[in-house]
Amino acid sequence: MTSSVYASTLGLSAALVLLCAVVTLWRRSLGAIVKVLAVQGAALACVALAIGFHEHDVGLEVIAVLVLGAKGVVVPTLITRVVRHDPTSRESQPLVNVPASLVAAGALVFLSFAATRSVTALEPTTAGRLIPFGVAAMLVGFFALATRRKAVSQIVGLLLVDNGVALVAFLATAGVPVIVELGASLDVLLAVVVLRVLATQMRAHVGSLDLDQLAELHD
Amino acid sequence: MTADTHVAWGASTSVLQVAAIALGGLVLVGLMRRVRARLEGRVGPPILQPLLDVRKLFRKERLRPDQASWIFPFAPVVLIATVAVAAGIAPLITVRPALGTGADLFVLVYLLLSGSTLLALAGMDAGTAFGGMGSSRAVTIGALAEPALLVTILALSMSAHSSNLPEIVRSTLAAPGTVVSPARLFALASLLVVIVAESGRLPVDNPSTHLELTMIHEAMILEYAGPDLALVTVGEAMRMALLLCVFVNLLAPWGIATSMTPLAALVGLVSLGAKVALVGVVMAGAEVFMAKLRLFRLPELLAGAFVLALLGVVSGTVLS
Amino acid sequence: MLVAILAIPLACALLSGLVPWRPWIGWAGTVSLAGVLGCGIALASGVLHARAASGLDGVLRADALSAFMVIVIGVIGVLAACQGVRYLDAEITAGRCTRRHASLYAVLVQGFVTTMLLAVLAANLGVLWVAVEATTVVTTFLVGHRGARTSLEASWKYIVICSVGIALAFLGTVLVYLTALHAPGHGFHALDWTSLVAQSRHLDPGVMRLAFALLVLGYGTKVGLAPMHSWLPDAHSQAPAPVSALMSGVLLTVAFYAILRFKVIADGALGPLFPRTLLVIVSLLSLGIAASLLLSQRDYKRMLAYHSVEHMGLIALGAAAGSTLAIAAVLLHILGHGIAKGVLFLASGEILLVEGTSEIEHVPALLSRRPILGGIFAFGLVALLGFPPFSLFVSELNMLRAEFQVGLGWAAAASLVCMAVIFAAVMSHGRHLLLGPKGTAAPDITPALVAVPLVGGLLLCAFIGVSAWPLGPLLHAAAKVVSP
Repeated sequence: MTSSVYASTLGLSAALVLLCAVVTLWRRSLGAIVKVLAVQGAALACVALAIGFHEHDVGLEVIAVLVLGAKGVVVPTLITRVVRHDPTSRESQPLVNVPASLVAAGALVFLSFAATRSVTALEPTTAGRLIPFGVAAMLVGFFALATRRKAVSQIVGLLLVDNGVALVAFLATAGVPVIVELGASLDVLLAVVVLRVLATQMRAHVGSLDLDQLAELHD
Repeated sequence: MTADTHVAWGASTSVLQVAAIALGGLVLVGLMRRVRARLEGRVGPPILQPLLDVRKLFRKERLRPDQASWIFPFAPVVLIATVAVAAGIAPLITVRPALGTGADLFVLVYLLLSGSTLLALAGMDAGTAFGGMGSSRAVTIGALAEPALLVTILALSMSAHSSNLPEIVRSTLAAPGTVVSPARLFALASLLVVIVAESGRLPVDNPSTHLELTMIHEAMILEYAGPDLALVTVGEAMRMALLLCVFVNLLAPWGIATSMTPLAALVGLVSLGAKVALVGVVMAGAEVFMAKLRLFRLPELLAGAFVLALLGVVSGTVLS
Repeated sequence: MLVAILAIPLACALLSGLVPWRPWIGWAGTVSLAGVLGCGIALASGVLHARAASGLDGVLRADALSAFMVIVIGVIGVLAACQGVRYLDAEITAGRCTRRHASLYAVLVQGFVTTMLLAVLAANLGVLWVAVEATTVVTTFLVGHRGARTSLEASWKYIVICSVGIALAFLGTVLVYLTALHAPGHGFHALDWTSLVAQSRHLDPGVMRLAFALLVLGYGTKVGLAPMHSWLPDAHSQAPAPVSALMSGVLLTVAFYAILRFKVIADGALGPLFPRTLLVIVSLLSLGIAASLLLSQRDYKRMLAYHSVEHMGLIALGAAAGSTLAIAAVLLHILGHGIAKGVLFLASGEILLVEGTSEIEHVPALLSRRPILGGIFAFGLVALLGFPPFSLFVSELNMLRAEFQVGLGWAAAASLVCMAVIFAAVMSHGRHLLLGPKGTAAPDITPALVAVPLVGGLLLCAFIGVSAWPLGPLLHAAAKVVSP
């Protein structure tokens, strides 16, 4: 792979990860949001694959395939099942409306670039300079978590945070050691399974997946 | 090469560009209607129908509202004039049109906007309810699109270190890799949304509607008739065609004339036509599957475009 | 040895999962945790002589600090497991819980303990992260084990907030790894704690600063430090009492153990000022929030949960001081708080069981109506508020001394103000709960099965408060590991 093809593949995939994060703020239909999440998982796998090819790192290529399977296929499928059983599968009233969310996302992107200056200075490679994209995707995930009131949107927000961190891990260090990577992926997968079970229980108890219906615990 | 040949070449290609945009714009409108009709299972009007419509309108009697001021007849002329100037100086067929140094993205955008602004004033000038409603909606969309557009220009000008359009096109030709940089793609996606909004296509405005409550652009020009309406129609078609031409030349400038020979100009003309026709067909095809957005959802769309452009700027700064 | 410590609860989890539920399985869990405690003590005496033990091809490593944490987990684990038998018994009798649920509970508790042990025994900071994240996944179902609407809400909040926090910690870990890769002479074990500490002077300070901030925020979420503490009162008040005891008594401090480990690296890379400032900020924030919210509590389990936030703030402040004295006091506080809070949560579980409500105003005059249970609760509160002879008195005193020594006197003074407010609040709630006119009914005697472990816990807490033996050398050695 020549260096310019590598640079543009990496740049585009990393940018796609961030773009998907922003699009989840933009779309209201939960089904569409989950599809966007699948695309993001695929883009993340693309990043890992490109770095793996570039560094001739077979372990990373294998991890890329695993990421594609887990974050591009399995996790979205798991969430889709929840969405399908939800009678009102739209994020109709987020705490912050959509245009304001999008502007906030823009601000978060700037923030992430400012916050990671020291990191990009330490790692001024093609991959290292893309680290702010990962941090920005993570921050957008945070924002989605804080402002969206549907169970599914919160799961998606959590996964956005996770994908953002994973992107940073790939870009900064070409992936953490394999044992940690596997453990982390397993944990995320299990967390999604747990959340899915909780969502099922929630529907049984509350009748909807609206977290506003669940607000009895407070001081 | 002497300065004279430069001037002559620039002048002749600019005239060619204006003519191509004027004719091509109407044909493009016809083409898009036809494609849409076909996809919806109708036969649809012939591709040249807009040309025939315009010819018919020019032959009609000149009718203007009694209360209208000088703005009303003035607006269509300004619209045509600004679009023609913009089409003359933009790098459409050649990278060296006349006054190419003036073809700054800002100049281009505000030339086009001044035409739209006057048209919005004219919509209110007639004093009817629909005209005012259409104008207010059009101005709202314009105001929302403008920040996105400004940031888009900023993003586009970053890779070439210049907001001069011929300069950007030349730098893209010199370094084709910049086209697939995240900065450029984000900016172009944002630009596409803005173009759709500015030229009143779905999902922002439905160009074929005559349902009063949802009309935006059609409501604004409701009072125009005869030759005035013909001017407005031609001006609008030219504007859309020009915006799309600029878009395709930023996305894929290959084919544009870099040398000053008639053959190169011909190649430039044909390739431009092909590219714009392709984009037009894709847009028309996409419109079949789209519903018009409700008016209060438009801020979301344009805020999305704004964020896209912002992403473009940010990634351009960091990755340059 | 290290593998055995992990294998005992893991085997017990498998056993509880495979064999259909019988009451003896509950006791098997207690025995397994007692085994863990025994192994922990053996490990501690081992590492006091040799420097550190390692196992499983270098993945596991135990120094005095790890051994100490294993003992903490073991002690509170045994207490919680005794009460767990009682909890499951009562739930099954009341028909709120099927046998399958009981098996699930047993499996998850053992799995929970296994992940905590893995966290404190991991040599690699990445594995530490994986283990801490796994505790979240495992405990979510335990928090929601009662199956009520409120426990569902609590477990949702718990897993979402903690997973986000832990994702931040992962980012911090990745950044530490990045700096380690850029440090001269890094080997294959770039996330290995010992090599990181050895290299810490060569780590890039800019990135390390960001990384440590993320780690404090991220692991701080699991510790229950402000500003990411909001899951804690809900989860701890909704979980079954034995689980609350484990979570409040040990899990919080296991997460704090991660911060302690990273703090050494950050101290080396950045000097003590930045880590200290950060920890002082989060600790004073936590103390302030705990003080203001404890005043208005109406629920005794939530009161205990907020009290945990306070103690985590105190521990963070002690860690901020960072001297050997301070860290030794912090570790003693970790153990003392674990035991006292564990006993209180277990007692509150028993109160909930017999009284049917967790509202303070609906449970008056506990001391006269249920003298044994009330007495345990009263002494637990006394221990937790830092009265002698309980060990929390010694540890708080030493933490304050250490803070004044390193020039954090103003922060220590601020923490004292918060502690005074909390003291008043808890005393007032405790008075409502414990004192009151004696009813007509005869006093209710709490079963020995419940009372004996709790009294034993309180006695242990008092014993380590008055005697330096046998913990003294271990505390000193453990404090040496993570202080200059």
